[in-house]
Amino acid sequence: MVKEIERVGIPVVHICTVVPISLTVGANRIVPAVAIPHPLGDPKLEIQEEKDLRRKIIEKALRALTVEIELQTVFED
Amino acid sequence: MRLELGHIFIKDIQFGEETAVKDGILYVNKDELIKLVKEDDYLSRVDVELARPGESIRITPVKDVIEPRVKVEGPGGIFPGVMSKVTTVGSGKTNALKGCAVVTTGKIVGFQEGIIDMTGPGADYTPFSKLNNLVLVCEPREGLKQHDHERAVRLAGLKAANYLGHAAKDLEPDKVEVYETLPLIEGLERYKGLPRVAYVQMLQSQGLLHDTYVYGVDAKQIVPTILYPTETMDGAIISGNCVSACDKNTTYHHQNNPVIEDLYARHGKDFNFLGVIITNENVYLADKERSSDWTAKLVEYLSLDGVVISQEGFGNPDTDLIMNCRKIEEKGIKTVIITNEYAGRDGASQSLADAHVSADAVVTGGNSNEVIVLPKMDKVIGSLDYVETIAGGFDGGLSPDGSITVELQAITGATNELGFNKLTTKMI
Repeated sequence: MVKEIERVGIPVVHICTVVPISLTVGANRIVPAVAIPHPLGDPKLEIQEEKDLRRKIIEKALRALTVEIELQTVFED
Repeated sequence: MRLELGHIFIKDIQFGEETAVKDGILYVNKDELIKLVKEDDYLSRVDVELARPGESIRITPVKDVIEPRVKVEGPGGIFPGVMSKVTTVGSGKTNALKGCAVVTTGKIVGFQEGIIDMTGPGADYTPFSKLNNLVLVCEPREGLKQHDHERAVRLAGLKAANYLGHAAKDLEPDKVEVYETLPLIEGLERYKGLPRVAYVQMLQSQGLLHDTYVYGVDAKQIVPTILYPTETMDGAIISGNCVSACDKNTTYHHQNNPVIEDLYARHGKDFNFLGVIITNENVYLADKERSSDWTAKLVEYLSLDGVVISQEGFGNPDTDLIMNCRKIEEKGIKTVIITNEYAGRDGASQSLADAHVSADAVVTGGNSNEVIVLPKMDKVIGSLDYVETIAGGFDGGLSPDGSITVELQAITGATNELGFNKLTTKMI
């Protein structure tokens, strides 16, 4: 899906736990997620902490959309 | 560590007054067994049924399959840390009732449980159709949580297996196999000049009912470590797995791991089989990185020339598999990986979710998406309620005539990644 959307000229950020698979399938902008069963959340956190975590990941992904890249890029912290 | 594994051949299983083996027939006191298993308050109903090779019986949803064994001599007991004290096992003498198994079924726990047909086309796809099965039908107490339900049925199966295994304690085995692994340095001296080989076994540990236990420890909490291969023969590793039926390693697979048996067969002749490195398949990327780093580190530390790596399950564990393979190959050590494929019903899609050029020696257990029609059986042990919703099943799969159409994924052991079946894939 990432590749098909990019093919029509819209940049995509792939938020994904298993970064190596994302690299293998050819995503260009990758933001690491938390874990496979809960990519954007963490059941071990309190509600407010979890909301902060989710916002952090989404904001990072939005920032990644604005960055010019030459190669596949993983946006770590 | 040296283990003598006594085989007692079971040609039939019947109910009887006393649980015992006579002339190759395993007699089971049904009431005594049910009473023992029902000691667990979590189970509201337990029944025992028999399913023999060739009978028109479908068992579903299958959770685990277990071979009855008993410790005859030496430290510890079968299933250490769970059914016996946590003592290190794998030495002395063990007796196994070959040709029979305990199969657990009953209300579904997760959505990934399996089907065993005792006859017809489906029987060809599962090794367990060739066994005399004692089927434990376990129904949970109302309102029991999923994890407690899984544990209750897992322990019920192990308890029943040990109960049957006990009948073999004083028997003279029909055949004895001897397996021996020397301490590292002694082995290196004895087999000087032979290539050094080990087995990297990946254990399913994704959580959410996808778990494996090592001496009672949940495998997602381990870091890669080394076992003597014979430890697995005494039940050091057990399945708590509700993952796809075709490629979950049941406890029976762990007890009878063909990779270990085949490596032993050539040990000391063609190579020196140093041992088993167990590792896990967790859901956090950091865990995957750590475990594959440590696996590669142990492989290097043991100065190995080559390793065989087996996977369990599919999807994200494909990444663990490729990480193990790549990181070990980067150290200049050869690998062969054993996996299976999800290549679509026509076999034309990409087989694994991840790939790398270092994975250039691959053994496959076949395509789990292949579709099969299983004709109606005269008797169902368990329930057909779930055959459309288990992994590999689909809406409309159950026909009014009682036949079911499923992917091989739904058949217990069909595309096993230890090579414990007959399927593979032809390259065209």
